[in-house]
Amino acid sequence: MKSNMNMQILAVVMTGLLFYSCAGKKEAPLPIFGEREVVGSDTVFHTIADFEFVNQDSVIVNNKTFANKIYVADFFFTSCRTICPIMKTQMLRVYDSIKSDPEVLILSHTIDPEYDTVALLRDFAERLGVKSEKWHFVTGNKDDIYKIAQTSYFATAMEDKSEPDGFIHSGAFLLIDKEQRIRGKYDGTKEEDVNRLMGDIERLKREYQ
Amino acid sequence: MRGKSIHDLITKPRRNAGLMLLPFAIIMMLLPACSAKDGREKNNNSAKFDQYYIQGEELYLNHCSNCHQKDGSGLGLIYPPLNQSDFMDNNFTKVICLIRHGQRGEIIVNGKNFNKEMPAIPTLTDLEIAEIATYIYNTWSHQRGIVAVKEVSVILSTCQKDSTSAHK
Repeated sequence: MKSNMNMQILAVVMTGLLFYSCAGKKEAPLPIFGEREVVGSDTVFHTIADFEFVNQDSVIVNNKTFANKIYVADFFFTSCRTICPIMKTQMLRVYDSIKSDPEVLILSHTIDPEYDTVALLRDFAERLGVKSEKWHFVTGNKDDIYKIAQTSYFATAMEDKSEPDGFIHSGAFLLIDKEQRIRGKYDGTKEEDVNRLMGDIERLKREYQ
Repeated sequence: MRGKSIHDLITKPRRNAGLMLLPFAIIMMLLPACSAKDGREKNNNSAKFDQYYIQGEELYLNHCSNCHQKDGSGLGLIYPPLNQSDFMDNNFTKVICLIRHGQRGEIIVNGKNFNKEMPAIPTLTDLEIAEIATYIYNTWSHQRGIVAVKEVSVILSTCQKDSTSAHK
């Protein structure tokens, strides 16, 4: 009986501590990725370079499409049998969580633009059952896609004929804020990491409130 | 056996919080195990079935689950589901053939159209295909029982090698 009493006291103390720690702490902002420069009194952060691609509706998609939006970016191709199907399953979870949220968009770039035509991307998006204005599947000049992947999003994307699918690419999901800065990088093949991403989207939204 | 031991624990005098929580912990641990084994326990308890099923699960995770998902739910209208599938129910021989030879062209699963090429896996042996079939046909909603290698070999010898007609 005595040990039972001790347990109860412990439980009360623990619960108290939990509430204290939650209430007392202000939420820290998400980190900002990439190099930064101090110019005068301002810090200039790494941002996504200007781009222009075409989406599944043949509509031009560029930085303006994402102006004042939070978005999640990734790199894939429709014929990929390795990690992409898992990434798309996970991105679909993200889509479901933000589909009625006007602040958040998704941008998936194909890294195989020769095969992944607009028509093919359109079929893919329709078969996933997602709306083009929310989830853009883009194609474009191959070098432009590889360049933006590597230099803007710090994601790996290149051709390699020795790979089973013919490409090397990372399964990363990148969280981009309204100033086009990278605020999070997640493994799009891992459910827990994608849970963290969905939490971070909400956290990032709170930064703008 | 397990049920009895839980009962014993619950009816014993409760000495401390740790022991009080023990039965719940055990129940929580048993829950996922029970649901995962559903098909197995209902169908066949033989060592051979277990061996096929365990090997089949590993092969499924290596070769199939990227697209069809670990839980067999598929993905949209891109990769068809296996967990509930009238195509699997009605086309057993076609399914055995397409595991080895792949699948090309339109198929209808649960009334929905799917049309993405599934690659062939020519390296799979007859036994491995039997193991995969045992796994997918005894998991989720399926309770077919063991799919023996003998049966699979007979079916595989009748498949048309051309993947475009393998499912016709």
